[in-house]
Amino acid sequence: MNFQYKLTKLSTAVCLLAGVVASAHAADEIVIGASIPLSGPLAGFGMYQKWGYETAVKDQNKAGGILVDGKKIPVRLVIRDDKTDPNVTAGNTESLLSRDNAIALLGSCTPALVNAGALVAERRKVPIVAGCDPLGAFRSVRKWNYAWVMFFDEGDLATAPFRMMSDYGISTNKKVAILADNGPDGAVVGGKIWPETAKGGGYTVEQNTSFPTDTQQFTSMVAQAKSTGADVVLVDAIPPQAIAMRKQMASAGFSPKVLVMEKGAEPEFFAQATGKLADGVLVGGYWDPSFPYPGAADLAKRFESDTKQTQSQHIADSHAAAQVLMDAIAAAGTLDREKINAAIAKTNKNYVIGPVKFDATNTSAIPITLMQWQSGKAVVVWPKDRANGKLLFPLPEAK
Amino acid sequence: MSLPNFEVIAGSLASGLLLGGSLSLIALGLSISLGVMRLVNLAHGELLVCGAYLSYFLLNYLGIDPILGLPLVGAMVAVIALPFHRLLIAPLAGKGMEAPMMTMFGFSIILQNLMLLSFSADTRTIEASYATQPLAMGPVTVPKIYLIGFFVSVALVWCVHMVVSRTAFGRELRASSGDPGAAATLGVDVRRVHAITFSMGAACAAMGGILIGTAFSFTPSTGATYLLISFAIVVLGGVGNIFGTLVAGIAMGVLQSVGAVILGDGYRDLVGLILFLLALALRPGGIVSGRA
Amino acid sequence: MLHAAYEPTNDPEVIDMIQKNVSRILVPSLLMALAIASQGFSDYALEIGFRLLVMITLAEAWNLLAGYGGLVSLGTASFVGIGAYALTGLVNKAHCPLYLAIPAAGLAASLLALLVSRAVFRLRGLYFTVGTLALAEALRMFMVNYDGFGGASGLFLAEDPPSLYVLFCIALVLMAFTTLVMSIATASRFSILLRSVRDDEDAAAQIGVRAFRIKLIAFVVASFLMGMAGALQGLKVGTVEPYGMFGIQWTVSVLSIVIIGGQGLRWGPIVGALFVIALGELLADYPALHLAITGLILIVVIRFAPKGLVGLASAMSAKKQGAVT
Repeated sequence: MNFQYKLTKLSTAVCLLAGVVASAHAADEIVIGASIPLSGPLAGFGMYQKWGYETAVKDQNKAGGILVDGKKIPVRLVIRDDKTDPNVTAGNTESLLSRDNAIALLGSCTPALVNAGALVAERRKVPIVAGCDPLGAFRSVRKWNYAWVMFFDEGDLATAPFRMMSDYGISTNKKVAILADNGPDGAVVGGKIWPETAKGGGYTVEQNTSFPTDTQQFTSMVAQAKSTGADVVLVDAIPPQAIAMRKQMASAGFSPKVLVMEKGAEPEFFAQATGKLADGVLVGGYWDPSFPYPGAADLAKRFESDTKQTQSQHIADSHAAAQVLMDAIAAAGTLDREKINAAIAKTNKNYVIGPVKFDATNTSAIPITLMQWQSGKAVVVWPKDRANGKLLFPLPEAK
Repeated sequence: MSLPNFEVIAGSLASGLLLGGSLSLIALGLSISLGVMRLVNLAHGELLVCGAYLSYFLLNYLGIDPILGLPLVGAMVAVIALPFHRLLIAPLAGKGMEAPMMTMFGFSIILQNLMLLSFSADTRTIEASYATQPLAMGPVTVPKIYLIGFFVSVALVWCVHMVVSRTAFGRELRASSGDPGAAATLGVDVRRVHAITFSMGAACAAMGGILIGTAFSFTPSTGATYLLISFAIVVLGGVGNIFGTLVAGIAMGVLQSVGAVILGDGYRDLVGLILFLLALALRPGGIVSGRA
Repeated sequence: MLHAAYEPTNDPEVIDMIQKNVSRILVPSLLMALAIASQGFSDYALEIGFRLLVMITLAEAWNLLAGYGGLVSLGTASFVGIGAYALTGLVNKAHCPLYLAIPAAGLAASLLALLVSRAVFRLRGLYFTVGTLALAEALRMFMVNYDGFGGASGLFLAEDPPSLYVLFCIALVLMAFTTLVMSIATASRFSILLRSVRDDEDAAAQIGVRAFRIKLIAFVVASFLMGMAGALQGLKVGTVEPYGMFGIQWTVSVLSIVIIGGQGLRWGPIVGALFVIALGELLADYPALHLAITGLILIVVIRFAPKGLVGLASAMSAKKQGAVT
């Protein structure tokens, strides 16, 4: 028999068979799906998100699950790795809905990934709750109906260093150098808000350089920053770049008085990789176990005993996001997506991340604080009423 | 866009020149594989990162300084590379250039993902006190590690040159790359020559990787960028031409810095690639004439 | 009598019979059946089916270039990316309807191929391969740095994409078109000319084959198909940015699929795509492991089954029939 004919028959049979295979339907489970970066450059964030989501679901199931249609049904969390690739986030989100029959979704991290997943959810009219996505970048995509984000606002974040400097009366030569990546929030923070706030506060922007997120060498821009003699250096870059840049600043003998490294200086491995060079680096934060929110300190302790690693603020926004979603399902009392979505809109409660209440743009803002690495620990240094340590100023000179 | 002042430009160019030395060492491994074995080693970048990881762990667990431990890592990688050559490349001898190239491609995918599985995607950097210190040479400031890297690289390139031009093995190597058939009839064990060449290439990549890991940072996927830059340098310098590779590497470093000064650091790699494409278009045989 | 013909022959009678039976009757009717039946498919099946169809299109195109033409290009990602961005631009700025926008995006990709062809075809063998890789990476870096096309943030599709079922059908049409193109290309004189250029370009030129023109046709056709596939992918995701659309993962997947399936063979891309995507779904929760295993299979196939799975299967089937190969 003709080989080609055989193969045609076989392939078509396989296709048709595959098409009719229906996935297993467990009617006695509430499936929540999440596609997060467990590999790739953002794997550090993904790890915290995974723990936050899983722990919230575990706790809910300890209480027997969620009360829906009169019955207590356990929650099943399905997590997919999107390898820090928005195409994969979109694909994962689709298959979480079609293969795993997720009722609702939890978001990924950083605008590109969250947007990719949220766009799919929005089209399919499935509620999705996310942290880890600055609000300005989220709002600028479109008018959302089914996607909800609780995080900080870039404007808040960007103005924080300036507000801190004026609060504490820090004296500098008022010269600012800005080095930001050209991703969505880097462009907004570095391209617009920082220069505007600087000018408004009487600072002069001596340099404003933008670069792509896969740059490894910063010698030129660092040398230029050094030559401007700026006392205040504001950086917005992801962790691999922040680490390289900090090292290269030291190699160039450049030591400004105030060094802010947004995004990049957040995870613990930044401090691990840069060692003493991390001391004095400021980064915007929105949570610390010492904050007066329900369960904050306990959450950190649980994380550290579970994973033997230092806590990060990302466990809080992910834990809270999962709780917000599950509370909405409980409030709706049904698995109807429209009713769940309506319940999310009515959220108004204090979670481990702080008060959560969504406004007309489907966002809930978390206030910003400034943290500073000191001897390998992240210390909250501003605002005064949240601080649990003293500000180190100026930046210690590298030996 | 206003050009920065003289000190910045001079510093950038000097740094570029010094960094170019390290780039030459990395490219050298690719050049000798290509020149002697006609092997397009697409796993070159991953071998570089392996060297960085090896040095990182030697430093963190045994306290061995990365620069002092450079020969050790080179030797280790060379030894580890031998069985892989026997397993992957030797059986494909005589089957054209595409099969070994694709095999190395598959090997690079495996290596990258094994490193990802074992070491996670966390960015690492090799810590050394001299890695973050500046060195002022008159009006110009360069990172100290660049200077160290430059001297180490030039020394190693010179060593390879000595091996190739003065030793008996070197003679066999040159015979095999010129005409393997004729060399075999003269009693040269071409397979052994290829195996050792492959090891040397891997060792060069690994040692270059240590310099990169100390000056900057690395993750399992850092290799890809250096693969392309290495190709660019190899083509610019002439395949198999050791001195040419050194000159081309340094030139590449300088030209990348020029691009960075004028257009911005983000354009560094793009400048390198454009130079590569120009070199390919104008003179696939290389710009520096003469063979090693 | 139909023999185990998976490579075209010169015999016009056999070519005629093959074309008549397979291309004209069997395949279109099967595709029609699939299109109708897929209305009842679950969303998951449509999702996987879409991915499969797009990959098959890309793999067929690359097979034409590399398998039949010997032009091992590592620049697949450029054409996919151009197609995706072109579609987004056409829909956003010109409100172009899809049946025009997708082919237009394919033409945009062909335009790129045309522009670089003169420079790129001067390179032979490994220089060609590395040159295409360098071009693809250079284009990606340019798109990341240049703000005119959205820079690193990319562009968003202004209109909502059609439903998953419609997208699946469009993908089906694209794959059918690709199969038709490939059938014509591989069963005609063109394929003989192409393979002669692949096997020995100088000798072919000596006997009067216009090598440059042949290579150009293959390149333009392949890039046209790749551009349309990229456009479809961009349409589905609704947002395009350089790392996702110009990233090397496209090149890696397509290359793996064709080599594992069997390059230069008619059924290689389809079998390869089925295999790789099935493997991907099985190992969906272990992406690093999935890639490592794909690399391993690639190496094993090159070493032990250079004609891929299809070559292996047909060799075994020929042995079973006792045919003398």
